[in-house]
Amino acid sequence: MIPDAVALQTTGAIARLLINGLQAGAIYILLAVGLSIILGTLKFVNFAHGALYIIGAYLGLIIAQDPSFGGKLAEWGFGDIGLGFGYLAALVVVPLVVFVIGVLMERFVARPFYDRPDTDQILLTYGIALILTELFRVLFGGASRSIDQPPWARGSATGVPVLGDALTALGINAVSTWRIVIILLTAVLVGIVFVLIEYTDFGLTVRAGTVDAEMVELLGVKLSRPYLVVFGIGAALAGVAGLVGGPLVNFNPDYGATILVPAFLTVVVGGVGSIRGAVIAGLSFGLIQAGLVQFGFSEWAQVGIYAVAAVVLLVRPQGLLGQEVAA
Amino acid sequence: MAVVTGPATGRGGGGGDYPSLGNFPIEGDAAVFGFNVPTTGPYSSEGEDELRAYELAAKHLNEGGGWVDSQFDDLSGDGVLDYQIDYVEGDTATDPSQATNSANQMVDRDGVIMFSGGSSSATAIAQQQVAQDSKVLYMCCLTHSNETTGVECRRYGFREMFNAYTTGQALAPVVAEEYGEDNSFYQLYADYSWGQTQQESMNQFLTEIAGWEQVDSVPTPLGTDDYSSFLSEAANSGADVLILNHYGLDGATSLQQAVDAGLKDSMTLLVPLYNRPMAEAAGDAISGVFGTAAWDSQIDNEASNQFTEVFQEEYDRIPSGPAQLAYAQTLQYAAAVERAGTFYPPEVIRQLEDYEYDNIGMGAETMRACDHQAIRDVPVVRGLPGEEQEQGSYFEIVNVTSRDDLWYGCDEGPAAECELGPYGDE
Repeated sequence: MIPDAVALQTTGAIARLLINGLQAGAIYILLAVGLSIILGTLKFVNFAHGALYIIGAYLGLIIAQDPSFGGKLAEWGFGDIGLGFGYLAALVVVPLVVFVIGVLMERFVARPFYDRPDTDQILLTYGIALILTELFRVLFGGASRSIDQPPWARGSATGVPVLGDALTALGINAVSTWRIVIILLTAVLVGIVFVLIEYTDFGLTVRAGTVDAEMVELLGVKLSRPYLVVFGIGAALAGVAGLVGGPLVNFNPDYGATILVPAFLTVVVGGVGSIRGAVIAGLSFGLIQAGLVQFGFSEWAQVGIYAVAAVVLLVRPQGLLGQEVAA
Repeated sequence: MAVVTGPATGRGGGGGDYPSLGNFPIEGDAAVFGFNVPTTGPYSSEGEDELRAYELAAKHLNEGGGWVDSQFDDLSGDGVLDYQIDYVEGDTATDPSQATNSANQMVDRDGVIMFSGGSSSATAIAQQQVAQDSKVLYMCCLTHSNETTGVECRRYGFREMFNAYTTGQALAPVVAEEYGEDNSFYQLYADYSWGQTQQESMNQFLTEIAGWEQVDSVPTPLGTDDYSSFLSEAANSGADVLILNHYGLDGATSLQQAVDAGLKDSMTLLVPLYNRPMAEAAGDAISGVFGTAAWDSQIDNEASNQFTEVFQEEYDRIPSGPAQLAYAQTLQYAAAVERAGTFYPPEVIRQLEDYEYDNIGMGAETMRACDHQAIRDVPVVRGLPGEEQEQGSYFEIVNVTSRDDLWYGCDEGPAAECELGPYGDE
């Protein structure tokens, strides 16, 4: 029989691994789902996804707070353009605005390139990402920024009634409340997108279009509108990721490029177009990262993700839950 | 080998005959400086402020103003040895290979006679190697690793900034007095030259001076944006103190995430190396946290106040420690050229070696010849609460530890491993 102290220690270690994996994985999932539905349904490689994250972060900062920006805005006398409406206002406005940006991107950028090779799409969207990054740098300056956490989600989660007691009982003593908010928000958003794509007529049309767009059009269903909406949703998710990631990780105009690689990796390992796959891949990455740190292999925490990705793709090139493509 | 006669060129010869070396002699009417800083990557905020200071230094060298008029008697404010100062800028992206490429481009394509930059020791060390190979002087800006003037020292590199070793020396007595002697500590460190030497030095001096005991020291990759797993393990270690050996954006992020996760309630946090942009990004999270800083505008003396004033006049913002280093190092090089009467690198190096000065706001200093390290005081600081940061100050100066209580001999510590290499005219 295992002594109580050892059992408690083991339970604590497992609980820490799970919560750490979950909090690291939630960000990967949030970043990947938007990218995955665009790539999976529209077959469009969007390297500007990171730039949409940055748009969400800066827009959120402007709506929620009163920041002072450097760059050209300051030179032109518009350094203090913050509205200070609070975080909840940003949570409403940011997805809507980035959705509209996504819709415009689909109409004027993506649509003319649907029939072009992937390389053309990559070059185009990568170019857009570079332009947006530089534009942000010129306008706002290169200084690192963060968004303040809303007052109701500040501090350690161990201080939250009930939840705090549960975490303490499990031996978890270092989780921020904001992390818990991100986990819940990710679960809700991913759930909504999943239901929309899997269980609605709209989703059925989109999925049918993915399998055989020509046949769907021949049946009299116009795909341009659902595609517009899907791109908008994918963009909005990236914007929300920027908004909820903003209080967690400091960002600057370059940060969009930093998050692009793990986002793509999550999509590819999960299987392009699969929301379930993105969730499993994101959680796996989070758990691997947390496990490597917890068991004393912290130097390998980032490399480990890439190693696992390489192994998965060698064994299943289509990703964990991706569809095999006939040659 | 081509020989340039001083008087024949009229400028830069200093009365002696000097062979071509590196980018000497200068072609054209302007001497070109290279400012190679991170404008992208985790240290980009620091890089941007350095760039502002470099541009200001070039302006003052050409037109007068700032320390050129008041602190550096060797400088005229009408160029350097009658050459106007021009400059090129590069982005190291906080990456050593990118820093090397950018420095090589400055040397080979732009013909710079001196280059400067830093903000990551790995990039500074890489640039020092370019300097030594190409025989073009490199004036280190912010680099804090023991290795920069230790095992990786180079004849063609000079460092004004203090190092991880002296941060440990300066910080240990202060935190021992504040938190007592019976403490255990856990370290997280950025996994490259600076972080590695920083955690070694903190371990050495907190053990030796403060009598504390290290529980563990864990590397984190440079550019990490999610420290949650690392912090969770630190919280679970049972240590009393958590030391975050992170800098720039990484430093702001790890500190903020530690505070958010509630670690400040159960552990004492230390951030050994601070700067203004970092504190600005971390906000209220730095409240009460001890560290050291290169320089701060609150250091009240004539040179410090003057620099703050001219920088603020030019850019409408208070300069950071890295900015002061960038400004000082550029003028220091130019003054050495004036004293040498030539841009010929070995002569300029000899002017800088063992040079004593007291004109950059950090008290009396010596640029030691044996390792090219400035022997200087170290400011110990403590973060201010968020509500007090509105005035533009992010930390209070706890003390400026005298250089007499710090440092090590030429055959001790990091200097014992330093072999500078040739001047190039032997």
